[in-house]
Amino acid sequence: MALRVAEEGLSSCSGCEVAILNLGERLLALAPQLDFVHMPLLMDHKYFGQLGDGDLKRLEIPQAELGLVSGGVRNQEHLEVLQAMRANCGTLVALGTCATHGGIPALINGLANAELMERYYRGCETNDPAPDPTETVPPFLERVYALDEKVKVDIYLPGCPPHPDHIAEAVLAFLEGREPALPHKSVCDACPTVRQGKGQLKSVRRFLQNAQYDPAKPIADMRCLLEQGLLCMGPVTRAGCSGADGEAPRCLKARVPCRGCYGPVRQNGNQMLDMLNALASNGIDIKTLPDRAGGLLRFSGAHGRLRPRPAAK
Amino acid sequence: MAFEPKILAFSCNWCSYAAADLAGASRMQYPANLRIVRVMCSGMVHPNLVMEAFSKGADGVMVLGCHPGECHYLDGNIKAQARLAVVEEMLDAYGLEPERFRLAWCSSAEAERFVEVVTEMTEAVRGLGPNPFRPTRPEDAQEVA
Amino acid sequence: MTLTEVREVSGQAGDFTVRLLEHPRYVDMDKCIACGECARKCPKKVDDEYNQGLGKRKAIYVKYPQAVPLKYQIDPENCIYLKNRKCGACVQACPAGAIDFNQKPREKTVRVGSMILTPGLKPFDPAGIRTWGYDVFPNVITSLELERYLSVSGPTEGRLARPSDGRPVKRMAFLQCVGSRDLNKAGHGYCSGVCCMYALKEAMIAKDHEPDLDVSIFFVDMRTHGKDFERYYNRAKEAGVKFRRCRVHSLEPAEQNGGVYLRYITDRGKQVGAEYDLVVLSVGLETPPSAAELAGRCKVGLNQNLFAERGGFQPVQAKGRPGMFVSGAFAGPHDIPQSVTEASAAAAAASLPLARVRHSLTREKRFPPERDVRGEEPRVGVFVCHCGNNIAGVIDVEELAAYAAKLPKVAHVERNLFTCSQDTQELLKKTIQEQSLNRIVVAACTPRTHEPLFKETLKASGLNENLLDMANIRNQGSWVHQAEPEKATEKAKDLVRMSVAKVALLTPAPPLTVEVKQSALVVGGGLAGLVSAHGLAEMGYPVHLVELTSRLGGSALHLYQTWRGEPVEGKLDSIIRKVTSHPLITVHLNSKVSGAEGFVGNFLSTIQGPQGETQVEHGVGIMAVGGRAHKPGEYGYGEHRRVFTALEFDKLHTLGDSRVRGGKTFVFIQCVGSREPERPYCSRVCCTHSVQAAIELKEQDPTRKVFILYRDIRTYGQREEVYRRAREAGVVFINYDMHEKPRLRLDNPDMVEVLVWDHVLHEPFRIPTDVLILATAIVPNDLNKELARIYKLPVDADGFLQEAHAKLRPVDFATDGLFLAGLAHYPKPVEETVTQAQAAMARAATVLAKTRIDLDSIKARVIEERCDGCALCVDVCPYHAITLEEVQGEPGRKLVRIEAAKCKGCGCCQATCPKLGVEVAGFTYEQLASQVAAALA
Repeated sequence: MALRVAEEGLSSCSGCEVAILNLGERLLALAPQLDFVHMPLLMDHKYFGQLGDGDLKRLEIPQAELGLVSGGVRNQEHLEVLQAMRANCGTLVALGTCATHGGIPALINGLANAELMERYYRGCETNDPAPDPTETVPPFLERVYALDEKVKVDIYLPGCPPHPDHIAEAVLAFLEGREPALPHKSVCDACPTVRQGKGQLKSVRRFLQNAQYDPAKPIADMRCLLEQGLLCMGPVTRAGCSGADGEAPRCLKARVPCRGCYGPVRQNGNQMLDMLNALASNGIDIKTLPDRAGGLLRFSGAHGRLRPRPAAK
Repeated sequence: MAFEPKILAFSCNWCSYAAADLAGASRMQYPANLRIVRVMCSGMVHPNLVMEAFSKGADGVMVLGCHPGECHYLDGNIKAQARLAVVEEMLDAYGLEPERFRLAWCSSAEAERFVEVVTEMTEAVRGLGPNPFRPTRPEDAQEVA
Repeated sequence: MTLTEVREVSGQAGDFTVRLLEHPRYVDMDKCIACGECARKCPKKVDDEYNQGLGKRKAIYVKYPQAVPLKYQIDPENCIYLKNRKCGACVQACPAGAIDFNQKPREKTVRVGSMILTPGLKPFDPAGIRTWGYDVFPNVITSLELERYLSVSGPTEGRLARPSDGRPVKRMAFLQCVGSRDLNKAGHGYCSGVCCMYALKEAMIAKDHEPDLDVSIFFVDMRTHGKDFERYYNRAKEAGVKFRRCRVHSLEPAEQNGGVYLRYITDRGKQVGAEYDLVVLSVGLETPPSAAELAGRCKVGLNQNLFAERGGFQPVQAKGRPGMFVSGAFAGPHDIPQSVTEASAAAAAASLPLARVRHSLTREKRFPPERDVRGEEPRVGVFVCHCGNNIAGVIDVEELAAYAAKLPKVAHVERNLFTCSQDTQELLKKTIQEQSLNRIVVAACTPRTHEPLFKETLKASGLNENLLDMANIRNQGSWVHQAEPEKATEKAKDLVRMSVAKVALLTPAPPLTVEVKQSALVVGGGLAGLVSAHGLAEMGYPVHLVELTSRLGGSALHLYQTWRGEPVEGKLDSIIRKVTSHPLITVHLNSKVSGAEGFVGNFLSTIQGPQGETQVEHGVGIMAVGGRAHKPGEYGYGEHRRVFTALEFDKLHTLGDSRVRGGKTFVFIQCVGSREPERPYCSRVCCTHSVQAAIELKEQDPTRKVFILYRDIRTYGQREEVYRRAREAGVVFINYDMHEKPRLRLDNPDMVEVLVWDHVLHEPFRIPTDVLILATAIVPNDLNKELARIYKLPVDADGFLQEAHAKLRPVDFATDGLFLAGLAHYPKPVEETVTQAQAAMARAATVLAKTRIDLDSIKARVIEERCDGCALCVDVCPYHAITLEEVQGEPGRKLVRIEAAKCKGCGCCQATCPKLGVEVAGFTYEQLASQVAAALA
């Protein structure tokens, strides 16, 4: 019997689902073994009966052996869908950095909901602000959560989006009943640039500045971008963007520094703390970095890492 | 019951830990709120350890090293000092008062200074009240670290 | 052997018989645990010598808390029991039964091959000399007393208060040269060499305590001739310390307020007076009578200053007494760096003649084979020490033991009266074996003193020594919470819980050793290089000596005599001959080091010579690439045929050049290129050199006029003698200021006209000069920077090589196995160069004497599972122990590698790594985190 797979996207951009489709021919090869029973983005499957005649107290998500959930948990609806997925899926995969660490949507965690409403709706000058909606829109939770803050997660597949190679590996490993072989080191592990030590730097250049390199030469001849003074998140970010056998991390391939989209290299790590500490330890004045929290926790603001600035005392 | 803060200090083996020993040999008295973790150098303390201490409920954390220029390992204490900015940044991000963390120098002969620093810290933290992150469930602990 | 003195010496170099007398301590050193209970109970209070009599100690005491050995002693002069057999309070108080009133003086005889005498100094006592009013005015104190007042461990805990009434000090004055450079009142012609620096230091510390404090230093010449001293002087000026160049001729009580009134003459010649709250006498150093007696017993000659007689080329050898060596203040008034350097040099000189019998008396300790505990679950044994009553008197040890027994992984708990006692070690051994314990927690005192003992016991019981942790429940428990026994007990439980948590995670670490290549590389064939190369070869180690030029000798080739007047040339020739003919020395001329790798015991250096590159393996390296004379761009140098540098002048003088021979008026200008903004250091040797040359010019023809234009005359130490002789010979000394340098007129080719402001007459002074001699700075060689790059050594702001610690490790680099000597370190005269070279050789020999070096187990290691070669840790390592390397067989994949022999275990890497990819054995992140968690559980 084919493996039943359910898929859901919460607070996300659908990029992870596109990554599933990007499995390409591998998806065709896997297809006979998989039975997608639920995937709202691709399949018309309603939560409360196909005709809206279901039990409004119970979300209808079919039973599945494998559940894939992308996106973080921003509102009450996300939470309920997630809980239903957890209840109906044997093994739950957090798909993509939003699901594992909050991702880009969790950048809003730097603002409390009231502040958010004030800044983006109330304080807007062009039209009269309407009252906060209370119906038809699911209410916000107090912040964006990663999946594992709300339910148990069995497999973490970070990435923005996760590389199809690793999605394939996770599914294959599940089919074969083994642990998936996923990257656990940092982006530097997959990065071929020349590294000699960071000690000669005193400050970090703005992101807007370009790296120095000879375009005619391979990336392996380019000096490490952090050592060039560019804020490269490679050392604190989980590898994976280059896939199973890519020659270099994706951003590096474009000769720009890693932005940290795979989240922290250790599941419980803190990209901001680790990056600031690594820089400070090397004698770099961390105050030269603009917007430290927003920049360094750009992809991992969940788990309470990014939070509203406490009111000044 | 009155609030008794729990204060954790990472003390370097060569200076501040020795000063603490000397304070004992000299029978100086200081508040019993301190728990020392001996490290070889203040430069060995990862800021994450400090944050872990806060997440596990420490009301105050100190890193105590040798005076600048007197580090047993050339400049480990200077690195500890550079990391101070990181800890401050993290405390700020979590809304913890910066006074809950203190980096101080004290040589192996400066038992008085050690006692003074510990006493001041204990009183300061007592004034601040309990660490709001003192976890009630262990799984909350990883939020800060 | 403490409390021991030399009674008699017989025999000769290589075979001395020394009769010793050991005075009783009345405390059994094996039993005393230095808990201090005895001193607390002792009823007899005595003035505390350590605190300069400003505080009290007891008749049973330790001199100061850092004393080594940290064992109490009874002062028989003051002990009530020893005086009249009453009291004995200490016997009652001692929990260890260490007091032994029956100890008697014991004679001992030892046979030794060499002797080193280091009996030290005594500060000059200004009492009884009216000018200084020391014992007349309470607010006149000595610098040593001030030192204690400023110390937080001193009698006032660092508060600066007037001794007369305890009121705060607002104005303070230092009087320099008290008991130094003063034959009249003190009988000491010499400069004590250290007082200018310590006055500066004390002034700065006092300003640090009290930023508004007004401090003046009354001085004759400011002698900051040591490495980085001039910078400190400049900083003191910037900090607002006032410097007044004059001797104060009298002290009087102030009319009001109880202060002291000083009368002095300003540098503009005006007589003024001022009132100070505190006057500090910067007292000099002298040889104590006991040291003079020792010299007598050892038949070591003393000079008129009562310092040991020695020569410039054998600076630590007692003159005319083979086999006897001297160092420290007994050899002359030295500061700490010089004393420490001399101590190493004396060790080298003393061991050289004994090289043949090295190791003939050493014995090795043997331990049983280690039990492999890697597969075992942790079985923790907790040993709770009562420390007599020291712990058990405050902490409820029974409750603590019961608590410990319930902790996870604890298999056995035991209480001991003294866990450190000899019989307890046997018990521990038995218990470890019987209970098959594999992790040990000792809850007792501090690991800083007792960890080595328990590690030995673990080894003796077949356990790896690293499976131990100590919970410090005494020094950081019972002793500091005496009034809060419940809290102390709670804290002790926490500390034991933390230790148990950590010890369970400890892993056995195999002892690390590295082989030592028993040969040396000496870079630089000048005097320093020659002396150290020759010494090491004489000790039996092959040496490669690398010299950049075609000739050995370095800067010493240009020197004419030492400050004592010993000719340099002959001595230098003789050592060059000895070096070139030594079978163990390979001399590489026209060569330099072009690359190096490795670490202590195992360096591999590439020498680039005329025939190409050679690689040499060596265990140690000595960097002695020397310095050179600064070529000035001022004072008409290179423009006028009668203007020379000091070295050029020496040559012309020796060769009998007509300009010198026929010259009638000579002017020396000091500090040319030194103590300037671009070179803010003193070149140390130029004052003595100019003064000496001036004397010779005068001696050759007393009608000659010789002027020395100076900023401060720095004939430090016993060189002051030369300065005195010059003044007696009629050499004229004129002081100038850096902002008012001497000016020249150079239009007449046969004469230089020097214009200077006369500091006595306070008017301009014109000197038509036949020969103008510029005392130019000594500057570092560019080779310093090259060596620094090759061996990763630090260079200071002036371009000199930077030692590991200015005072305590003056010839070591922070990198193990590398040492420095000579001008590459700082300008210095011949005898100090020889001393430093001998010291470097002694330090090098401590490595070479072993075939293997045992390394500490506290080392960082890479966890390959986690490391991804991001290289963040590479530059963080203070010891350059971390390199990035490609993984074999996996092109493009990199990991860091840590050279264990270079790693010192500071853990800076561990605290940097974002992925916990590197850890320090015994202090891993997980282990520290386990302690944190346990502390807060």
